[in-house]
Amino acid sequence: MKNFLHHLFLPKESNNYRPGLLQHKFLLALTLFFFSAGLMLSFVKTNFPSVLGSFSNISNQELLILTNQQRQNNNLGPLTDNQELDAAAANKAADMFGKDYWAHNAPDGTTPWVFIKGAGYNYVYAGENLARGFTNAQDVITAWMNSPEHRKNVLSPNYQNVGFAVETGKLSGEDTVLVVEMLGSMSFASAPVPSEPKNPVQVAVAAGSPTVKAVTANVPAPIQAPVVAAKVQNQNIITTPTSQELLGVNSIIKPFINSQTLALNLAKIIIFGFILVLISDMIIIERKKIVRFVGHNLDHVIFFSLILIIVLILVKGVII
Amino acid sequence: MREKFKKHIGYYISLIAILSFGLILIFLTRSNILMQSFAILLTVAFYIFWGLLHHLLNHELTLRIVVEYILIGALGISILFFMLTGGL
Repeated sequence: MKNFLHHLFLPKESNNYRPGLLQHKFLLALTLFFFSAGLMLSFVKTNFPSVLGSFSNISNQELLILTNQQRQNNNLGPLTDNQELDAAAANKAADMFGKDYWAHNAPDGTTPWVFIKGAGYNYVYAGENLARGFTNAQDVITAWMNSPEHRKNVLSPNYQNVGFAVETGKLSGEDTVLVVEMLGSMSFASAPVPSEPKNPVQVAVAAGSPTVKAVTANVPAPIQAPVVAAKVQNQNIITTPTSQELLGVNSIIKPFINSQTLALNLAKIIIFGFILVLISDMIIIERKKIVRFVGHNLDHVIFFSLILIIVLILVKGVII
Repeated sequence: MREKFKKHIGYYISLIAILSFGLILIFLTRSNILMQSFAILLTVAFYIFWGLLHHLLNHELTLRIVVEYILIGALGISILFFMLTGGL
């Protein structure tokens, strides 16, 4: 056993002074293993979602608490959870999965405001934040707070209500968790106009209100919003879902094994293993002054470090 | 070892610069999986090309080395494929 491990990890005579792990046969075998393991995991995830799949520990309640904590820290009033906005967020998430897109506006031009109006929420201010691929609520809020535009939405004094949806599904063939945050206000009364011009990611100011002109004069950014709001009044594309429909949208099967954790840990072990073997091989060969015609180990160390960083980028969530 | 490293310092700096550029590209395309996959393939292809070019310039390029760089690159891609198809 000891000899086998030496053969695998350290340069010695029996392996022609190149660790078994770095020899062509092993590299080829490992490459084939990862390609087939990826396909196998994908198959199990699709056919046995109760065994293997991606899931998150994000709850609407936790998102609300963390959002209000951020507002409290910035001397702003708390947002109240609104069922219509929850429904709008759930419809938006379902729409993204259904039409396979990841954007504020659908490929057919449907804007977030359509979902808000469609759910029965008559806004004077509205905004939307999106997040994808996160596994806990704190990371979602931190990512939004670190982005100036999303931060403006979370900390806008214009909003009184909020609705969230956390949904699992497939986007571009990839299992993912979407978080939709819909913010809104139905009246101007307790929603003071900010002194500085705002330009959040997605913000609408409703048209049709007699006071809109005065408000839009102070809020120069949302150019498309009035047009969108006018559209909504003529065509109610999305209807408020029934409780059963909502139940269907929100029902998430929590798999026995989290595929992301499994894949991430395996990839990390292999990459760290390779980096260690490459470095030890480099040191031993240099000390023993052995001449070999092989690739530069330092090249491979740099390359595997890059692969490790990419792996970490892949598992990190994205916001828009 | 230090002397060897000093001799090749320009190469290593250029390699890190190329891979960093690839990394930025991969990060920027993270909301589009197809673009991101293309950025990954491009970065790995550059790594193989740059490594082989360096060996060629040092008159030490052999078939064994060519195969090694291709296999290391393929292993990197297979790990990322594994993450993208099975892990996310």
